Amino acid sequence: MAFTIAVHSAKGGTGKTSIAVNLAIAYALDGRKVCLLDMDLRGPSLRTFFDNGSSGVSFWVNDLLSGRKGINEVVMDTGAGLGMAGKVSVAYSKADISEIRELASKDRKWQSNALKNIIAGKKELIRSGTEVIILDTGPGVEYESINAVAASDLVLIVHSSTKACSECTEQLVNGVYKSLNKKCAIVDNMHHCSLDEDTLDGMRYGFPVIAAIPCICDIAKRSGEIFVLSDREHEFSRAICDIKDKLESIL
Amino acid sequence: MIEKEMIEEILHNLKEINAKLDKIIQNGNTASLNEKVHSSDSLDVMMLLSLPDHLRTTATTLFEIGPATAEDIAEVTRKERAVESNYLNQLVRMEHVEKYREGRKVYFHINSKLC
Repeated sequence: MAFTIAVHSAKGGTGKTSIAVNLAIAYALDGRKVCLLDMDLRGPSLRTFFDNGSSGVSFWVNDLLSGRKGINEVVMDTGAGLGMAGKVSVAYSKADISEIRELASKDRKWQSNALKNIIAGKKELIRSGTEVIILDTGPGVEYESINAVAASDLVLIVHSSTKACSECTEQLVNGVYKSLNKKCAIVDNMHHCSLDEDTLDGMRYGFPVIAAIPCICDIAKRSGEIFVLSDREHEFSRAICDIKDKLESIL
Repeated sequence: MIEKEMIEEILHNLKEINAKLDKIIQNGNTASLNEKVHSSDSLDVMMLLSLPDHLRTTATTLFEIGPATAEDIAEVTRKERAVESNYLNQLVRMEHVEKYREGRKVYFHINSKLC
């Protein structure tokens, strides 16, 4: 069964992209055909993980949302030679300030069409055999992020150990995820034990907390590294594989 | 004499009823006007979030599966076809959705004029 996961958070800097990239690779290591889309159009960072894929990008997620290009024109295969049983294709969004400025001027009609284009793109990917689609979103309630949430089957909420993040996440849960009737799972990233009292029986806001990844400086120091590829026994890599397995049971 | 008083009372009551009906009709017109103004916005994800639960589910499903009959929507939402037909027609009245006939089937889709 093919499925789409939106990796989202209420606040920035929670580690969404690291989790999205590593999760995509973990699925590919399992032999799945995976597509990873950078939906963080206002702060794209997916390319930093795939240096070999950054050159020769002809079209962008921006082109997909605008309807200028179809999904098959914006995704590009990556990860060849990395020893994965499956395949990973990636679509980047354009980190050009003029593009980001233009995005801010888009009206609601454009955003409505963008949602249609994401859904159409998702269907096309599934038709062509993609089994797992991962949408790496920007934080908060930016249009592109909520469009991605709306187009997904499950939202992986990446939560950081701050009071601000908790408060904003609660708003998103009640105002967006539940309103859109989305299945959700929570990952406590950069987790501190002091927050344990917020979690009751592994549930928070009515959704399962499927992982608590401790705050590990190693991850920040080795930014841009795909841990599930380079260091499979690392605590972070093991946590990602655990998330992957638990998501399957929720879906 | 009593009959005359009764007739006058009936007339008075009828006038009151008339006045109340006029008010209701006037309010109804204003409501439909508000609905039109409200619907002049595009059906984007933020508008979806502001819809009442039953209409949001129907509209979200229509976004997901594309042009569809009330029966197609009902299969996904697991509600009665007639119920979905009613919701879809509400969305049509709000101008978020358009409908067209193909043979004997009526299809609904997100209003493309707004997108």
